[in-house]
Amino acid sequence: MLVRAAKKRIKILVATLSLLILIAIFSLVVLRDNILYFLSPTEIKNSENLNYSKKIRVGGMVKTGSVSINNNEINFIITDLSNEIFVTFKGTVPNLFSEGKGVVAEGKLKDKKFFIAKRILAKHDENYMPPSAEKILNKDVK
Amino acid sequence: MNLDIFVMNGYGVYVWSAFAFSFLVCFILFVKTKRTLKKLENEFKKEAMSLSDEKVSALKNKKVAQEILNTQQKAH
Amino acid sequence: MMFKFLYPSHLFSFLNKGISIISAIIIPFLFLSLIFALLISPQDYIQGDTVRIMYVHVPAAWMTLMCFGMISFLCILTFLFKTKNTILLYKSIAPIGLSLSLIAIITGSLWGEPTWGTYWVWDARLTSMLVLMFFYLIFIFSYKFISNQNLSLKVCTGISVIGLINLFIIKYSVNIWPTLHQTESIKIIGRTTVDSSMLLPLSMMLLVFFLYCALIFLMKYKSEVIRIKKKGLKKI
Repeated sequence: MLVRAAKKRIKILVATLSLLILIAIFSLVVLRDNILYFLSPTEIKNSENLNYSKKIRVGGMVKTGSVSINNNEINFIITDLSNEIFVTFKGTVPNLFSEGKGVVAEGKLKDKKFFIAKRILAKHDENYMPPSAEKILNKDVK
Repeated sequence: MNLDIFVMNGYGVYVWSAFAFSFLVCFILFVKTKRTLKKLENEFKKEAMSLSDEKVSALKNKKVAQEILNTQQKAH
Repeated sequence: MMFKFLYPSHLFSFLNKGISIISAIIIPFLFLSLIFALLISPQDYIQGDTVRIMYVHVPAAWMTLMCFGMISFLCILTFLFKTKNTILLYKSIAPIGLSLSLIAIITGSLWGEPTWGTYWVWDARLTSMLVLMFFYLIFIFSYKFISNQNLSLKVCTGISVIGLINLFIIKYSVNIWPTLHQTESIKIIGRTTVDSSMLLPLSMMLLVFFLYCALIFLMKYKSEVIRIKKKGLKKI
């Protein structure tokens, strides 16, 4: 049997908890633009009020065969498989940066199709396996 | 001697420092916890010894107090 | 009383046994796991040897989440039913969770530098994990420095309830928002994307971390019980 005081405390707790959850959901929805760590090329294409002087991040996959390097300048294409954005970058890229892998570029948009990156971060996926297992996997796909 | 395990293709410094840091934090927490426990056990024993005879016999009926004193004797 | 099994007098005799068993097996088990994690387990196909950081990062992160979940549960229980002994339990867990959250964050950033190219980013996962560490800090402060027990319990319950929401944000952050942090690999539902040769050292290290948490918890709990019994000595 629950004491009346305990019942009262349960009510208080449930009320507080639901209020807090509501506040949390509300603030997460309002703050969504700040929580998004990067935008995809599609989101950039569809957004109407882009700020070209503000630092933003674009993320996606480095398009296979798009990387070209000349004189410390790296040009490549970020794709989310439906839209693409051209990126130019001066400097060194992380070791894991490679074609067909995830990437996040930080910098400014020149226009909706052209991005000048100040920093490149590599994003790896959630697959962990030894090199031998990857070879077998690739054979299966081919 | 094979140094591959320490170098790890250049990633060794990250891997080893991550493991070392984790071990260090765990070790510090362990030592701190152990010290507090030892200190409290000693203090408990001291206070139990300073009690009068009649109180000591009352203590004999307390299960937990006896256990604390017993572990102390084993440790010494 | 419904929570009689949580009474110190029932638990105390198990404490010594638990402490001696765990301290006997944890060291050999740690060495075995380290051999698997650092020597036997293979390199990753893209990350190379950096993947070995996973074997401390992931267990520490999981255990710190679990610790906070336990704390929240115990704190709410204490608040609802005014069970005094559960206070000792959550006080004994909190320092472990704080240390583990620190380990998870530091090892995570040591993993981030060689793979992502940065030690720290403010993405949803990393930020919410940092928030969890601060929740642990405030939680510990509020039971240490608020001397009014009733007020302290209320503050602690408040923190643990808000922290509980943060716990779900941490868990689902990588699925809801785009983050630099990769999405979860070990799933209860669906395919686990960690190769079995890496899953073995990971689960061994997880067990080591679990044993370590249990050991510290038992020692801390024992200290708290002695502290109370010491006060009781004066009243005989």
